Amino acid sequence: MIVCALIPRLPLLIALRHARRPPDAVAALGPAPGDPQIIGTPTAAAAAHGIRDGLRVGEALARCPHLEIIPPDPAAVAAEHERLLSSLENIGAAVEAGVEGTAYFRAAGLERLYGGVGGVVARTRRALPVGLGGLVGAAPTRFTALQAARTASPREPRVVPPCDAAGFLAPLPVEELPLDPRTAAGLRDLGIRRVGQLAALSHRHALERLGFAEVHAWYAARAGDDRPLRPRTPPGELHAHMGFADPVGSLPTLQAAMRLLLGDLAGAARARGTSLRTLTLRVMLEGNGSWSHTVTLREATCDPARLATACLRLLERVTAPATAVEVRGDASGGPAHGQLSVLSIGADERARRMDQAAGQVRARLGDDALMRAVEMEPRSRLPEHRWALVPFDTSPHPGPSA
Amino acid sequence: MGARPLRYLSPPRPVRVVAGPTGVPCAVLADGRRRAVVAVRDEWLVQDRWWTDQPVDRHFFEIVLEPGRVVTVYRDTRADAWFGY
Repeated sequence: MIVCALIPRLPLLIALRHARRPPDAVAALGPAPGDPQIIGTPTAAAAAHGIRDGLRVGEALARCPHLEIIPPDPAAVAAEHERLLSSLENIGAAVEAGVEGTAYFRAAGLERLYGGVGGVVARTRRALPVGLGGLVGAAPTRFTALQAARTASPREPRVVPPCDAAGFLAPLPVEELPLDPRTAAGLRDLGIRRVGQLAALSHRHALERLGFAEVHAWYAARAGDDRPLRPRTPPGELHAHMGFADPVGSLPTLQAAMRLLLGDLAGAARARGTSLRTLTLRVMLEGNGSWSHTVTLREATCDPARLATACLRLLERVTAPATAVEVRGDASGGPAHGQLSVLSIGADERARRMDQAAGQVRARLGDDALMRAVEMEPRSRLPEHRWALVPFDTSPHPGPSA
Repeated sequence: MGARPLRYLSPPRPVRVVAGPTGVPCAVLADGRRRAVVAVRDEWLVQDRWWTDQPVDRHFFEIVLEPGRVVTVYRDTRADAWFGY
């Protein structure tokens, strides 16, 4: 049996919480900075006014002039999702992360610990974050478990035994299947409106209609999706964070701050004997929102210059003043092995010695003993914002104009 | 690894300024001595971030003190206090 833990509409709930708005407000998620002006998930009260996901902002406001548009906060959503995964891992589950607010794990390894599937499900329900209306479902396959969770209530998890799985899925609308919306619409045009109708097709006919890319939906409809779960390896995560006294709107300043944090992260990864595979950049925006982007590196590295090359240009997409920047890295890569050079280069040797000397000075006098002055906002009207002190590192540190 | 605040290089510090009736500095008390203002080289207003909880409203003066030293001071209108760099 597979257990699914689900927090429905997690991004909307988090945004409402940060905006201090009640869940029954007439509100909807707004577009992220720089994204097309399209409405995200609405509350039930907004949906009653005809607001739906994917509507243009102008049309939504025309339909419902008192609609509140709440800025999304992907950083907080990612943190809450991570909290969900960690709490499930803490009960001993090997968790596969789904989309935000969704997690799956196999109950088999925990049944003896908690007294059967019912005990595992009950323990899972207690492990969910409080106040977000988490749901739990259990069923023989991943898709069936997700549907079981969607039809469960917060107080009463739903367990679908293997013998009832096909019957449970049959009356569901075909749009619930993991299909491209156009394919689902095509099926509906052909008169296939329920999951059970698709499941009744032969494999040959399903393949003919869905193609190899989407035939997995046919297996899911028959509760026969037996793809094994792929539990995640809990990440060896590193993070660095920098807050600004005043919101920062200039790109060079953001890039300078991010460059420092990347240097910190690279140094920490090197000290662990690992390298960075994935980086998540987060910028907390003024007024409760945030911007987030994940970068997967082609090759695990802990070279600050390469990290900067991969990440800094992305900050151009941040379109609102920032109150803090944060970078998280998955330091699960092996020790960094660059191409060795045949000749010893003097500059590298000098940098290594300088690095050692800086480390010794810091060990003796503290982290603040060696600082570097970097130009932050050279054109700021407030003189104290033009330069900042950052920890001294031996890597070349171009100014914000670089 | 963790959070760290950004440290600015030269944050403003409170200074004691004797201002004339028009609000222009006449003297600055520095290092226990009173130094007269020889000239006011420039002055400008900065009113910023008025849409936040921490608006900025400063009247800057770039002044020349008695031995010839150029300093920048400002009067924070909201705090009614003088600061210098």
